[in-house]
Amino acid sequence: MKSGSVVISKRIDKFFLKLNDIYLFVLRFFKEAFLPPYEFREVVNQCYELGVRSLPLISVTGFIIGIVFTNQSRPSLAEFGATSWLPALMAVAIIRALAPLVTALIASGRVASKIGAEIGSMKVSEQIDAMEVSAIKPFRFLVVTRVLATTLMIPALTIYTAFVSLLGSFININQREETSIITFFEQVFEAITYLDVFSSIIKAFFFGFTIGIVGCYKGYTSSNGTQGVGKAANTSVVIAMFLIFVEELLAMQIINAIRFQ
Amino acid sequence: MNTAENKRSVFVGIFVLISIAILVAGIFTLGGQQNRFEETIRLKAAFDDVEGLRKGNNVWFSGIKVGNVREIRFNEGSLNGGPQLEVVMHIEQGAQKYIRKDARVKLSSDGLIGNRILTITGGSTAAPAVEDGDLLATETGLSTDDMMATLQENNENLVSITNNLKELTSSLNEGEGTAGALLKDTQMADNFRATINDLQQVASNTVRATGALTQFTSKLNSSEGLANQLLTDTVVFSQLKTSAEQLQETLSAAEIMTKNLTEASNKVLTTNNGIGILLNDEQFGTQLKNTMQNLETSTEKLDENMEALQHNFLFRGFFRKRAKEEARQQQ
Repeated sequence: MKSGSVVISKRIDKFFLKLNDIYLFVLRFFKEAFLPPYEFREVVNQCYELGVRSLPLISVTGFIIGIVFTNQSRPSLAEFGATSWLPALMAVAIIRALAPLVTALIASGRVASKIGAEIGSMKVSEQIDAMEVSAIKPFRFLVVTRVLATTLMIPALTIYTAFVSLLGSFININQREETSIITFFEQVFEAITYLDVFSSIIKAFFFGFTIGIVGCYKGYTSSNGTQGVGKAANTSVVIAMFLIFVEELLAMQIINAIRFQ
Repeated sequence: MNTAENKRSVFVGIFVLISIAILVAGIFTLGGQQNRFEETIRLKAAFDDVEGLRKGNNVWFSGIKVGNVREIRFNEGSLNGGPQLEVVMHIEQGAQKYIRKDARVKLSSDGLIGNRILTITGGSTAAPAVEDGDLLATETGLSTDDMMATLQENNENLVSITNNLKELTSSLNEGEGTAGALLKDTQMADNFRATINDLQQVASNTVRATGALTQFTSKLNSSEGLANQLLTDTVVFSQLKTSAEQLQETLSAAEIMTKNLTEASNKVLTTNNGIGILLNDEQFGTQLKNTMQNLETSTEKLDENMEALQHNFLFRGFFRKRAKEEARQQQ
């Protein structure tokens, strides 16, 4: 029977080996992404599959979030008689945090699992090996295209989400406070700054990259047959979501440091 | 390349284009809000304390936003006793001609709990319009600290008032003073009640008296009343006039009579006339008294003489005869 210290030592070794593996995977991605030949068509295909097809889900979610958050924020502001500040509050909440975060989380659920399952099943069914044999670089074709697609599509989806959420927020505010659309958007743009907009877009790029790379890595390194595919899909979602929250926390600190300098 | 792939490309293109369009529209709206793409002029104002004003805060003129704060820096002039801070504002060029050189800049707030803003107020038409780089005069508004200081003063007053009220209520509770006695003393309450009853009685009497007075005055006002007759009936008036004249004459006569009486009484008081002597001369009084005593004594003696005369034989017959006549007359 192994002693406890040996087990812990082996686990630490395993963790660092995995970390190295991930590092090499990410490094490989950048190497393959910037070196020709480029798989533009596949990138567009993946953009359609991962981005455009997520649009209905993202739109509905964003719209509902706009309505719900506005409705739930109202009582707190009403205590100060400041319900006229709802557009400004919602603008800050949606542009700074909700839009990129909600988009990334929804995409994690839908896209990361899809990528993980897709590449995982290809891996366990040895399709990737077959691709290599047929002179198609599987990493470039499967991983780079998907990661690029998510990295490009998540910011675009974030812009949609922000717009749709603000629309939902406006509908709710218009119903209750009878604020006109001009006043609403005047107040929205009064409250936000360029820093808010650009930081969210940049954040969304990072979220998109994370979703893609996690999904691809988990799929590309999956094993143990169909069970491994399910595990890859599941862990892709969990890890992607966890990393998104960590990134959000770091981004908030960095952006606030820039804002209040 | 098949049709399905083309379709996908088109969808992706549209999707990306729309998202970029939304982003660009947002950026331009934001820029418009913050006057990023508008021609602006720089104005400056110096403050000792900007009370939390920040870069990007709005500048208002006549209640509308005309620019924003671009820079807040320490004022080099403060070393020579000038204000501590210098605030640089970017003002829309369109508003330039309306802002005069003698306008004043004031620190204000966007609502009660809102952001800090700068408001440009005043300015006379006689003064020329501001130019790029002008330093505007500042005005100190009512800061939150000032309001808090006033509130503190009010609080102290409130404490003092409540203390007084406490003392007052405890005095009342202990029955001190008139008000306290009124609340606590049962006898006083009874007296008070009695007084109220009396007052009520007085009030009802007053009501009755007022009614009677009203009745009386209405009678006075009626055509049959004395006052009305006095005012309207000429016969009564002439009679009254005559009576008054007669009264006047009587009074004159009475006056003369009184005068005579006074003179007479004066004479009576003196001793140079008969009544005066009779009333005032003591010696004469004594003599008169003696005379009267002598007269009384003489009368008694005369009475005795007359009695003796009746029994005299010369006059006895006469008296018997008269007695008989009297007896016969009585029968």
